[in-house]
Amino acid sequence: MKRCIVLGKANVGKSLFVLSFAEYLGVQKVSVTIEEPGRHGQSRTVSVRDAMAQWVSDTPHQTRALHAVQLELPVGKGVKRFELVDTSGLSEGIPRETAIRRAMAQTLAAVREADLVLHIVDASAAAQEGAVEAIGEVDFQVAHFAQMKGGYLILANKMDLPTAKEGLERIRQEFAGHPVIPVSARTKDGFREVKRYVWRWI
Amino acid sequence: MHAMAMSPGPPHTAEEVLDLFEQGKLSPAEAFSLFRRLHQTGKVPAVHVPAAAAPRAKAREEDDEAERRRRLQEAEAELMSLIGLDPVKRLVKEIQAYIAIQQRRSAERLVSEPLVLHMIFKGNPGTGKTTVARILGRMFKEMGVLPKGHLVECERADLVGEYIGHTAQRTREHIKKALGGILFIDEAYSLARGGEKDFGKEAIDTLVKAMEDHKDQLIAILAGYQREMEHFLSTNPGLRSRFPIHIDFPDYSADELLQIAHLMLRKREYRLSAAARAKLAALLRTEAGKADPNFGNARLVRNIIERAIRRQAVRLVRKARISRDELMLIEEVDLGEVSAG
Ligand SMILES: Nc1nc2c(ncn2[C@@H]2O[C@H](COP(=O)(O)OP(=O)(O)O)[C@@H](O)[C@H]2O)c(=O)[nH]1
Ligand SMILES: [Mg+2]
Repeated sequence: MKRCIVLGKANVGKSLFVLSFAEYLGVQKVSVTIEEPGRHGQSRTVSVRDAMAQWVSDTPHQTRALHAVQLELPVGKGVKRFELVDTSGLSEGIPRETAIRRAMAQTLAAVREADLVLHIVDASAAAQEGAVEAIGEVDFQVAHFAQMKGGYLILANKMDLPTAKEGLERIRQEFAGHPVIPVSARTKDGFREVKRYVWRWI
Repeated sequence: MHAMAMSPGPPHTAEEVLDLFEQGKLSPAEAFSLFRRLHQTGKVPAVHVPAAAAPRAKAREEDDEAERRRRLQEAEAELMSLIGLDPVKRLVKEIQAYIAIQQRRSAERLVSEPLVLHMIFKGNPGTGKTTVARILGRMFKEMGVLPKGHLVECERADLVGEYIGHTAQRTREHIKKALGGILFIDEAYSLARGGEKDFGKEAIDTLVKAMEDHKDQLIAILAGYQREMEHFLSTNPGLRSRFPIHIDFPDYSADELLQIAHLMLRKREYRLSAAARAKLAALLRTEAGKADPNFGNARLVRNIIERAIRRQAVRLVRKARISRDELMLIEEVDLGEVSAG
């Protein structure tokens, strides 16, 4: 089964994107495998709505484990199953807490093994002057590495917010040469294009 | 006091990178950067082989065509956004036009020239040879010249083996990895170092044979210093005719170096004070004037910038209160006694 990793800084909308995309593909209940560092994955089935209430949040580093959501897409007469994996947010600096470093290390390892990397950046924050928090060195390094590996897409999220247009411009400039799709995890705008791209990689 | 973290010895596997990260010795950005380097130097196995594209429905073809054009434009835009390199950009435009016209002629059943796109890149280190090769690969893929368009980089040490036959085998392995894309051989002249007896010749012969056997599957680029490449080609006349495209990569001018410096700083969210700006400009002027072939140009700028960033950190770390602006500002003193190293 192909694995598609969703990553990005804290609070850019990774968790909402994963669940919202699952909803877009027409599922109300998702089977999620929760992979904590150093432990076997625990699977359970939850409704998308409950998962959203639980996992989408304004506090950074909510997600300390990988949440692999099992999904399928129609291919020819059958379906292709794939995993969409929500990860703990990346930080610019070295995290102080060991548990967060372990969770992030898990994300790094997952990126190496992924078939497809969806890199989310917050377009609504990207245009604020000197927004180190919005796009920074870690984002450039991810882009550099993931592109070389192949199967890499940047999602400029929160396009429903007023400052996002300008942010998208900046993202396109800064990541010139990388594919960027504007989306809103809230309104599901842009999901058609994302689906098409994912379809091609699984 | 928090001194700067000493950089640990370079890790050799991805697992070592992850260990260092867990120990808090690397930032996520540094970890990704190391992953990339490991991936490039082939010290860890390449992780990803894209699966063959699934058969597609007719309706998707138009979408695909638009997508293909968009990706081609993206690659072109990236090439154009590289600072300087005007002669390189011009030549790439020419090659692109030439390919397009030959494809059109062949569609109209006119006699078309066979596309022989093997190339020689001549220029000092750090002048953008690898970057341009990588972009060309992407462009060729979108133009339908190469099926995959990826880049496999190697040098003498990767190709030459220890006994007779070993070299051919190692060379073939690299060629196999490069099939569908570009094989980029850096410092190619070192393959001719030992004369007739040397295994380097075995590598060249294997390469030449592969270029014949896989005509539509492989583009080879030989790269290296201008003078050495000229000499290499003059002593291997058979090679010259097989590599019809020669591109010279000029050193960056002081002005271009300054632009590169600003771009690097901007990406890292730093900026220069007026005095620092003047000092950097002066520094780059003297360096660019030195015409040292090892003066790896863009690489030198990177060294200067990275050192300045570390010095700024040392300067700030003792302060009790640091403003956001101070965090971004590189002062003249941070450029300190920067040397070309
Ligand atoms: N307006 C808007 N808010 C969003 C969007 N995506 C996420 N958010 C909000 O951003 C915050 C962080 O989202 P979350 O998915 O937890 O981010 P994560 O840390 O990257 O997983 C939450 O308050 C979300 O409701 C979007 O497309 N538009
Ligand atoms: Mg989250």
